[in-house]
Amino acid sequence: MRKGSPNEPINVPYRQLTFALANAAAVLASLYIAFAFDLERPYWAMFTVFIVANPICGAVRSKAVYRFFGTFLGAAISLLLIPPLVDAPLLLCIAVSLWVGACVYLSLLDRTPRSYVFLLAGYTATLVGLAVVNTPDQIFDTAVSRVEEIFIGLICAAVAHSVIFPQSVTAQLNKKIQATLRSAGAWLSESLMSARRPADAHAQQQLAGVITDLHLLYTHVAFETSDVPRSRGVMRALQERLALLLPCYSGIQESVAALAASGKVPDSVMRPLEAASGWLRRAEMPETDCSFQYSNRVEVESDTISVENRRQNPLDWRGLLELSALTNLRKLTVAFTDAQVLAATLTNDRLKLPPHLQQEAAAAGRVPLHRDRGLALLSAFATAGATLLACLFWIEGSWPEGAVAAQFAAIGCSLAATLDDPSKLIRSAIIGILIALPFAALYEFAILPQIDGFVSLALVLSPAILLFSLMQSSERLGGAGLVLAIAFSGGLALQTTYRADFAAFVNSNSAEIVGLLVAIAMSLVFRTIDPAWNALRISSSGRKGVSQLAMGRKFDLRTWTIQMFDRLGLVTSRTAEMGRPQLASEEIDGLRDLRVGLNTATLRDVGGKFGSACCAALHGVLKNVSSAYSSGFGNDRAQAAIEEAIDLGITSLGTEAPSRTVTDGLAALIGLRLDLAPAMSRYAVPRIL
Amino acid sequence: MIGELNIGGVFVPGLLVAALIAFCLTSVVGLSLRRLHLYRFVWHAGLFDVALYIVMLFVAALASANWNIAGVK
Repeated sequence: MRKGSPNEPINVPYRQLTFALANAAAVLASLYIAFAFDLERPYWAMFTVFIVANPICGAVRSKAVYRFFGTFLGAAISLLLIPPLVDAPLLLCIAVSLWVGACVYLSLLDRTPRSYVFLLAGYTATLVGLAVVNTPDQIFDTAVSRVEEIFIGLICAAVAHSVIFPQSVTAQLNKKIQATLRSAGAWLSESLMSARRPADAHAQQQLAGVITDLHLLYTHVAFETSDVPRSRGVMRALQERLALLLPCYSGIQESVAALAASGKVPDSVMRPLEAASGWLRRAEMPETDCSFQYSNRVEVESDTISVENRRQNPLDWRGLLELSALTNLRKLTVAFTDAQVLAATLTNDRLKLPPHLQQEAAAAGRVPLHRDRGLALLSAFATAGATLLACLFWIEGSWPEGAVAAQFAAIGCSLAATLDDPSKLIRSAIIGILIALPFAALYEFAILPQIDGFVSLALVLSPAILLFSLMQSSERLGGAGLVLAIAFSGGLALQTTYRADFAAFVNSNSAEIVGLLVAIAMSLVFRTIDPAWNALRISSSGRKGVSQLAMGRKFDLRTWTIQMFDRLGLVTSRTAEMGRPQLASEEIDGLRDLRVGLNTATLRDVGGKFGSACCAALHGVLKNVSSAYSSGFGNDRAQAAIEEAIDLGITSLGTEAPSRTVTDGLAALIGLRLDLAPAMSRYAVPRIL
Repeated sequence: MIGELNIGGVFVPGLLVAALIAFCLTSVVGLSLRRLHLYRFVWHAGLFDVALYIVMLFVAALASANWNIAGVK
């Protein structure tokens, strides 16, 4: 980064202060503009700023765009739904609830920040639509002013956060990638030399989480200021390389463990491992020249190749294990070097990529993350149900503030829909509202009557605004700050003329809390998910993915790997949270599934290059793997069948003339055998030879 | 140029149309500047983008006043 650039990383307390200043400026500007245009509810502009506020400039801008489209869509839908149904309140409520549910469903299928569009489209329809059922002739004006108020807030936030001390997402991305590469290098360099240790699980979990984090963080880049290079292909390739590190490493571990089980680990394996370990410890990101990285790696690789050539009997079990360990080591060093080079080019677009990466980086496809339609449907039902229930209270109880309850039931369920236990978040939102209310009441009934004009209003409000903004800038207090800010702005409900009405203040705020309580009740009944159950569900969808990869007609290995790694991250974060890491090894082993998948993909690649006998043997392996993964394990006969098929594959591939392809294929078969065949079974050298 | 555009019975201010046109122009200019690696001469990209947008808005507003784009009254 250039010296003196406004995006230069600066120390944290200063960072937080500048963020709070920018945010306060945006809030006051939006209030001023909304007052100047004489809009109906200027406080909507005010809390919109708080909602999109984020220390990263690109994230503010992306959320602003998503929020605008979501609001627009929601307002449009309410224009469509309300006028024809306004005379049939029950039908209207059902229609609105179904719409909210459908939007939650769609938003859960998209796990990127874009999902916000659907969420907002859902609950904006309730915010606009349910507020005007008593005066349906005003619906158009209400819809337009909601969109206008939110638009003003969005523009103010986006401009303020990109002009006043902006922090670009690249700084954050860089920091994250460099930290990941450094810690992965250090961890790999240590663990290559030692047997499995307890620290492994933690490091694996971190690495698994980081790839999805990078994916989500990178979605903001498209919305950054125009100077940030957009290179989704590079990012995607980087994610895939990072995802390869773990399966390659664990493949080495498996082979070395199997070698150790049948005698001493030979020097021909230990020496390259030591060399690679030393290399990984010294590995640095390239600053100027990428080719240097590759020349550095060659030393490690030449050791590997010499062992491959020295092998005497191509089908001896220990020899095959050595081969598998070294092939995985080669893949590991290649992936790590690629990752370093890609990471360097990601931020410095004047750095040239080596030819083998160039083509890959140019192909910029979208990678869908893991999605769970069943759970999404369940959340959609819970949300629609909560909204409808609150609506029924409203209609049956002829409770004038009931609309607010229905709105808040929809908001609460929508925003918490991604969590395993949504009620926890909604509970803390209620606590936030309860804390903010006295604050808002103090302003509303004690301070605001004393003041006159915008300048004094700004002066009076700025301490509160600055405080909330400061809270938002810290990671720990961020959520609490947001809830407080929204509850405060909503409670204050600033309008052009001062109207203090204690009864209305209490009524509408208690309706908010009732709505959230309904949301909690519905979530507790329908949407509280045991994380272990969810982890099992995710991993079983991963197994289905493996089976499809083995037998499906078309496959895209890159997409598959990233998706699989995403699942691994989801599962490990859940099992670690429960403090039940043993579950991971007993019933779910996402890493094994990932390894099996990568090995089957290699076999599919290799299979086409040989004669029909060999091709048929490999096809038999793929078929067995696929059926084992689609029907589940634990069946002794199926395991014996897999073992037999793999042994046949090894025999027929081993008789081909030695080449890199054969080596890769054999290593993949050994990997499969270690993972899928019964434990302790040993491949016997066939007698035909 | 502060006329109103009648789109299906909804009156849309001319300035809004000009603002949309300016936004598209700014994106195109920003994209080409990035492709040409010209942003390394820019100190503060966010500020530059906002300023660029205001210039473009001025251009769009002038054009709509002089050439009466899309029937702006």
